[in-house]
Amino acid sequence: MRVTRGMMRRRLVALLGILLLAISALVGRLAYIQVLLSPWLSDQAQALWSRSIPLQGTRGTIYDATGQKLVYTASAPSVIATPAQIKDKPGTAAKLAAVLGMPADQILQLLNKRVSMVYIQPAGRRITDQQAAQIRALNLPGVYLTEEGKRVYPYGTLAAQVLGITGADNQGITGLEKQYDDVLSGEPGAITFYAKANGEQMPGLGQSYIPPVDGLDLQLTIDVHIQQFVEREIEQAVAEYNPDHVTAIVADPKTGAILAMANYPTFDPANWKQYPSSTYNQNLAIWQTFEPGSTFKIVTLSAALQEGKVTLSDKFYDPGYYEVAGHRIRCWKAGGHGSQTFLNVVENSCNPGFIALGERLGKQALFDYIRKFGFGQKTGIDLPGEGTGILFPLSKVGPLELATTAFGQGVSVTPIQQVMAVSAVANGGLLMKPYVVQAYINHDTEQVVHEVQPTVVRRVISPQTAATVRQALESVVARGSGTGAYQAGYRVAGKTGTAQVAENGRYSGSHYIVSFIGMAPADNPRLVAYVAIDYPRPRNGAPVFGGVIAAPIVGRILADSLQYLGVPPQSGGLPKKQKWNDIPQVQVPNFVGMTIGDAQRAAIQSTAQLQTQVVGTGKYVVWQAPAAGTQVPSGSTIRLYLGDSPVPQPQAGGSGGGTGGQGGGASSSGGGAGNSSAGSTGG
Amino acid sequence: MTLSQRRPDFVLLAVTLFLLVLGVVMVHSASSALSLKTFGDAYYFAKRQVLWACLGLVLMYLASRYDYHRLRRFAPGFLVVSFALLVLVLIPGVGRNVNGSQAWIGIGSFGVQPSEFMKLALILFLAHYLADSGDRMRSFTRGFLPPLLLALTAVGLIMLEPDLGQSVVIMGVAVVLLFTAGANLQHLLLLFGAGVAGFAAMVAMAPYRMARITAFLNPWADPLGKGYQIIQSLYALGSGGLLGLGLGQSRQKYLYLPEPQTDFVYSIIGEELGFLGAAAVLVLLAVIVWRGLRTALYAPDEFGSLLAAGITGMIGIQALINIGVVTGSIPATGVTLPFISYGGSSLTLMLTSVGVLLNISRQAVFPAR
Repeated sequence: MRVTRGMMRRRLVALLGILLLAISALVGRLAYIQVLLSPWLSDQAQALWSRSIPLQGTRGTIYDATGQKLVYTASAPSVIATPAQIKDKPGTAAKLAAVLGMPADQILQLLNKRVSMVYIQPAGRRITDQQAAQIRALNLPGVYLTEEGKRVYPYGTLAAQVLGITGADNQGITGLEKQYDDVLSGEPGAITFYAKANGEQMPGLGQSYIPPVDGLDLQLTIDVHIQQFVEREIEQAVAEYNPDHVTAIVADPKTGAILAMANYPTFDPANWKQYPSSTYNQNLAIWQTFEPGSTFKIVTLSAALQEGKVTLSDKFYDPGYYEVAGHRIRCWKAGGHGSQTFLNVVENSCNPGFIALGERLGKQALFDYIRKFGFGQKTGIDLPGEGTGILFPLSKVGPLELATTAFGQGVSVTPIQQVMAVSAVANGGLLMKPYVVQAYINHDTEQVVHEVQPTVVRRVISPQTAATVRQALESVVARGSGTGAYQAGYRVAGKTGTAQVAENGRYSGSHYIVSFIGMAPADNPRLVAYVAIDYPRPRNGAPVFGGVIAAPIVGRILADSLQYLGVPPQSGGLPKKQKWNDIPQVQVPNFVGMTIGDAQRAAIQSTAQLQTQVVGTGKYVVWQAPAAGTQVPSGSTIRLYLGDSPVPQPQAGGSGGGTGGQGGGASSSGGGAGNSSAGSTGG
Repeated sequence: MTLSQRRPDFVLLAVTLFLLVLGVVMVHSASSALSLKTFGDAYYFAKRQVLWACLGLVLMYLASRYDYHRLRRFAPGFLVVSFALLVLVLIPGVGRNVNGSQAWIGIGSFGVQPSEFMKLALILFLAHYLADSGDRMRSFTRGFLPPLLLALTAVGLIMLEPDLGQSVVIMGVAVVLLFTAGANLQHLLLLFGAGVAGFAAMVAMAPYRMARITAFLNPWADPLGKGYQIIQSLYALGSGGLLGLGLGQSRQKYLYLPEPQTDFVYSIIGEELGFLGAAAVLVLLAVIVWRGLRTALYAPDEFGSLLAAGITGMIGIQALINIGVVTGSIPATGVTLPFISYGGSSLTLMLTSVGVLLNISRQAVFPAR
C-alpha cells in the first residue's frame, strides 16, 4: 500500500471520528456526574461545606406549688466535631483524649463516622469549664464547643420518682420529665453556615440561625413543705422498721391535686445511673399493686350505706367467724367481737361484719362500687408507668371471693387508686382525677400559659353517705383500731390496713404491707394522706399492724400539713376514747408471757385501773403497748398482742397459722383468695 | 475545481477567542479565594492570565501572518534547542521544582516549561520529517522507528522531571502524526501492544502501581489521600448540577479544590455553569478539533496537513486528558485545559499553535461547493 494524499485524508477523517467520539463519551460522562449523580454529590458537598452547630433550647424548670425550683437547667459546654473538616484525625483524637480522659481510639471512631456532626460522647458531653478552656486553646479545626443543658436538683432526692430523670440528650426518661417531655424540651435550633476548607466562613452566603425555643416550665401541685414532712416520716419509718419499700401520698381531695408523693428507696436524680434501675424506673405510689387489706373496707361500707343495706346503728353479732360456702372465715379477734353496732364493726375492723355487708350487697353491686371508686383501671394521673391492679372477673366471683373482697383480700390495687377512692369519700362522693402538674409557665416571660383544671371523674356516692362514712372513719381513729393517728385538735378520720403478702402462692407469715389512709378535718377534709410500709421489721419482734406502725405516721403528716396550710385546730370532734389528760400517771406492769385471762385480771385488779385491748389471736400475751415501765395516765388502755406460745416470736405476732393482722386476717380457710393476691403483681 | 482562500478560518478564530475570554473569567472566579489568601490580591492570577493572553494573541497574530512553509527551516534547530532546555531543566539550580516536578526554568518570577516548547518543536519537526517520508513510512526500521525513537527520547527526558501529563500528550501527538503520515497500522498495533506489555511489567514489579492507577475508579477508598482531588472535583461538578450555581458562586474553590485555576478549572466551570456550561465547553473544543482537522484535510501540502493534524491532535488530546481526569474518567495526570487553564507557557504556546493553524487555513484549498 502506498502512502498517498488520499490515504492521509482517510486517516484524518478517522482521526476526527476518534476524537469526536472521545469528546462525546466525555459529554456522556459529564451528564452522568452532573445530572444523575448530582443529588448525591451535592449532598456530600453540602455536608462538607456546611457547619451546623446545634443549639439546645433550655429545658423547662419544674416548680413546686409554692414556686420553689425542684429542677432546672444549667448550661454546660459539650464538644462536637465535624469529621469532614478534620484532616489529622488520629492527632485530633489524641489531643481530645488527653483533655477529656477518654480513650483516643474511641474518639477516633467517632471522628471516622461519615456524618456531618458528632458529639464526642460520653466524656465530651457537659464538660467542666476548665476542660472547655483547654479545648478552646487547642484550636482544633473541625472541633467546636456548644452549650448543653444539665439538670440541677436543688432539693436533691426530693420527689425523685415524681420528677424523673433525663438522658444524655436531655430527653425525659421517667417521671414528669418523660410525661411532659414535649412541653419541657422546647425546640432545638442551630447555627448553620458554609465554611471554607480552612474553617473560615464562606463569603456572601450568610448563615442561617434557627433560634432554639425554650421549653415551658411546669408548676406542680406538689408542695415542697408537705413533701418534706412526708419524706421525713418515711426516713423515720425506715430507720425504725427497716422495710423493703415505703410509699406515701398526700392529696387534696377536693381537686385531686397531689400535694406530696414519695417512695423509699429513693435516689439522686442527678446521679441516677448509680442506682438500680428498679429505683429510678418505678414510682411505687402509682405502679405497685398489692392487696389493700382493711383500708378497702371503706369501699364496702360506702357501698352498703349508699345502697341502704345497713345503717351504722344496726346490730351485728360476731361469734368470731363467718361461715361462707362451708368455710369458716375467722375474725382477727379470737372469740369475736360479740354483739356490736355496725359502727363498732368499722371501729373494730371486724371481718365477719364486712362479709355480712358484702353478702347483703351481692357481688354485682359490690363490684360495681369497686369499679366506680376507680379500682381495676388507671386513675389517669399525669405520670408514666401507672399500674391497673387486678379484680376478680365477675363471672369467677363465688361466695368466698365475695367475702374476701369485702374486707380487702383477693383484690390488688395501687396506692394512688386507694388515695383517690378515699378522696371521693372526703370530697362528698365525687371521684376526682389525680394530677401533679397544675400549670405551664413560659420560661422567659413567666406568664402562665396553660392551667390544669380539676377533673371530676364521676359521682360515686351521695354527699350524705360520704359524710356518714367519714363519721365512721373518725370514730375508727378516736375509738377504734386507728387511734395511732389521733391528733388532738384535728379531726382525723381514717382506716388501717394490714395485708399479708403471698410469696410463692402462699401467704407469708412475716411479710406484711401495713398501711393507713386518713383524712382531716373529718367534717370537711382538706387533706387525704396515705402511707404503706412494705415488710416492716420492728425491733424486739413486735407484731406488725397498720394501726401501730402506719397510723401515727399519717397522723403526724396530717397534723403538720394542716398546721402548715394554716387550717386552725378545732374542737367538737369525737373525743379520744380515754380522756386522760388530768389523770395521774401510773406505771404499766408487765403482761408479756401471761395468759390472756391472767393479764386481764391483773390489769383490772391493779391500782392503776388499766384497760386492756386485745389484739391478735392466741392464748398468751406476746407483746404489749405501751411497754412495761412506761408512765401512762390511769385508766389508759394497754394493748395486749396475743400469740400461741408464751415466748415472743421474732417477727410478727399472731398465730403461726398465718392468721393475724389487725385488718387483713383471714383464716387459712380464706386462702382461696391467695392465688390472686398481689404483692408481686406488676402494673 | 479548487479555490484558494485568502482569509483564515474565522470559526476557529472565534471559538478560540471565546474560550480564551471564558478562560480568563473562570481563572479569576476560580482563583480569587486562593489568590486573596496567598497574595492578598483577588486578581493576582486573573491579571497575569490577561497579560499572558495578550502576549499569546500577539504571537497568534504573528504566526497567522507568517507563512507556515517557512517554519520548516527552523524545525531542526527548534528541536535541538528544546532538547537542550529539557536537559537543562533537570540540572539542579537551573530547573525549578514545583510540586515535586522539576519542570520549570525561571528567571525571577518568570518561568517557562521546556516540555511545552518540546510539544510544538516535536510537532513541527515530525511534520517536517514525515512530510517527505513518502513510502518509507511503510517500513518499520526506516520509516516508523526513527520518529518514534525521537519522541520516546523526549518522553524519557520529561519523565525524568517527572511530568506524566506532558509525556502522555507528546506520545499521543507522535502517534497522531505517525498515523496521519500513513504509518503501517500493524506497527501502530505493535506499539500499542508494547505499551500494554510495558505497563503490565511495571505493575508486576510493583502491584501498588495498579492500585494507584485504578484509584480513580473508587476515589472514596482513600478520600483524604489519592482520592482527595478527584472527590473534590466530583463534588464541584455534582453540586453544579444541570444549570450550575451561577458565575462566581463556586464553593469548592474555597480551598477545597487544590489549585482550581490550573488543572481543575473545568471543575469550577461545571460547578458554576452547570452541565450545560461544561458541555458547551466540550462542544466548542470539538468545534476546534473539527476546524483544525478540516484545515489539515484541505491544507495545500503534506507538511501543512501534518502540522495542522499535529497541532489539532495536541489540543484535542490535552483537552480529553484534562477533562477525563476532572470527571474521574481516567487516572490522574496533570495537563492543562487548552485556552482556559491558568499558565503562561501553556497559553502562549496554544495561541501560537492556533496562529499556525490559522495560517494553514488561509492557504488551504477547499473543494468547491
